[in-house]
Amino acid sequence: MEIPYTVKPRPDTGLYNAKLGIWLFLASEVMLFGALFSSYVLLRVGAEPGTWSMGLMDLYVGAGNTMVLIASSMFVVLAWAELKQGNLAGYKKWKWATIACAVLFLCVKWGYEWPSKFKHYDVWLNNATVLHEKFEKGYHEVASHGDVEKHVEDIYTERFFKEPSEASHAAFDDAWENGTLALSGHINAYEEARIDVRITGWKADAGVSEDEADKALAKQGAKDAAELRQNGGSLSEKTDYDSAKRAEYALGQAGFTVALSVVGYERVEAHPWVWRTKRVTEDIGGKPRVKSIVFGLDHSHHHEITLAAGDIKRLSSYEPKHSTFFGIYYTITGLHAAHVFGGILIMLYNMLPIGLGLWHRDREQFTNRIETFGLFWHFVDLVWIFLFPILYIL
Amino acid sequence: MSDSHDSPTIPDLIKKFHFVGGVLVLGTIITFVIDIMFALPLALSAVIGLLIALVKASFVVAIFMHYKWDKKLIWITWTMVLTFLFFAGMMGLIMWAYGDAPNLARNEMHPIWVVLAALLGVALPASFTVFTVKMLSQPAPVEAAAPKAKRAAKKKG
Repeated sequence: MEIPYTVKPRPDTGLYNAKLGIWLFLASEVMLFGALFSSYVLLRVGAEPGTWSMGLMDLYVGAGNTMVLIASSMFVVLAWAELKQGNLAGYKKWKWATIACAVLFLCVKWGYEWPSKFKHYDVWLNNATVLHEKFEKGYHEVASHGDVEKHVEDIYTERFFKEPSEASHAAFDDAWENGTLALSGHINAYEEARIDVRITGWKADAGVSEDEADKALAKQGAKDAAELRQNGGSLSEKTDYDSAKRAEYALGQAGFTVALSVVGYERVEAHPWVWRTKRVTEDIGGKPRVKSIVFGLDHSHHHEITLAAGDIKRLSSYEPKHSTFFGIYYTITGLHAAHVFGGILIMLYNMLPIGLGLWHRDREQFTNRIETFGLFWHFVDLVWIFLFPILYIL
Repeated sequence: MSDSHDSPTIPDLIKKFHFVGGVLVLGTIITFVIDIMFALPLALSAVIGLLIALVKASFVVAIFMHYKWDKKLIWITWTMVLTFLFFAGMMGLIMWAYGDAPNLARNEMHPIWVVLAALLGVALPASFTVFTVKMLSQPAPVEAAAPKAKRAAKKKG
């Protein structure tokens, strides 16, 4: 079936069909992003003082990425102009440049900006006195020649207000007195429980044969499975939490009763991706899974402080659940980045033989296809033009 | 583009594209410099930032997206008018929420936010709508496309 009006304009609309289609699509996109933008404004204006972390955005990275996107927008329209002049080689040159820019944009966003936030933590403590102590310790080099509270206030003001004002001072005083301030920085290490796993019994009536039960035991590393099953005993010593829990579950399925006991703690260099409050508060037989975390405060020249698990009220990296700010930040930049990603796929299609085939069949239609893609790409650029000041400046 | 009378030739267009690219880069640099060099109040930097964004966006739509030459095509224009009306509605809802008496009475709520919300909610969509309606009211918007279409139909026959 031939699709009508792919090259010639339709008399009543004055446009070739694809172009009207893409404008209608862009209109729906305006509504989608418009809803998110207006949500952003609503949340921004309604935020309590001291909760909007706009100072955490790296303006240099944002401006750099804006330039990259502007360049790609420029290249995509030049690629179309080359096609208009019948120059396929020129089209390919500019199109590859566009793809390179788009990939660079995503590398910066998904490879640097987001991950560096995921590795960054805020920790809220239960107690204002302990909080002040931790700040004193963390900023001991400041304490020797200046006022720690002032130092913390400077960091706080830059993050939530950018410029000091009466409002920022009042909000800080309140947070400092009540201990609702968060310690911000990196988890360098933590002390995690080492666990002994003991088999205390086996139920023959659980519906598992002796052979199967022994196999399950052997799978968990038991040397003499039959002996262990009959008399009980130690299965493994000083194992880590995950293996212990896995063994407990698997052996429970095979009819065993398993006892886990914490025998000590070991310092583990932190893996930045896996941290959650839950892990700090989990306990094994009344003892915490994590005894303490070793924390490097921002702006403290890597001087470490140790936070006991019992003092921690909440712990969160800069992920969507951290706060409203990060929630809407990831939603909007994520949706925008998804558009960039989709654009890359379409561009690649139009560069591969399967897409280029149309050029050899009908040059004008191919040129129009590239023009409509260009319209989409400019729209993506347009969204970023508004996102840049909103996210990075305001 | 092929469906407009008065569109410039491709080499002219490429010159225009380079010019717009320059405007976009300049706009970004200005936004950046203002933010790092001057300690402006939040409200003022919001107005400046959004105004620069608006200028950049207008150039992208007008030149890169060929709207300057496609604007006589009434279907695009009405689509966009309706979209911006929707956007105005969204912003209007926010103003409504922040015009609430309890919010205005909040101590920490600076009146400038209400002004800003008003600016975003009314001025931005209104300016788009005014410009678009102005473009719509230019002479013979439909006729411009129709004769061409007739020619196209003739050729086809």
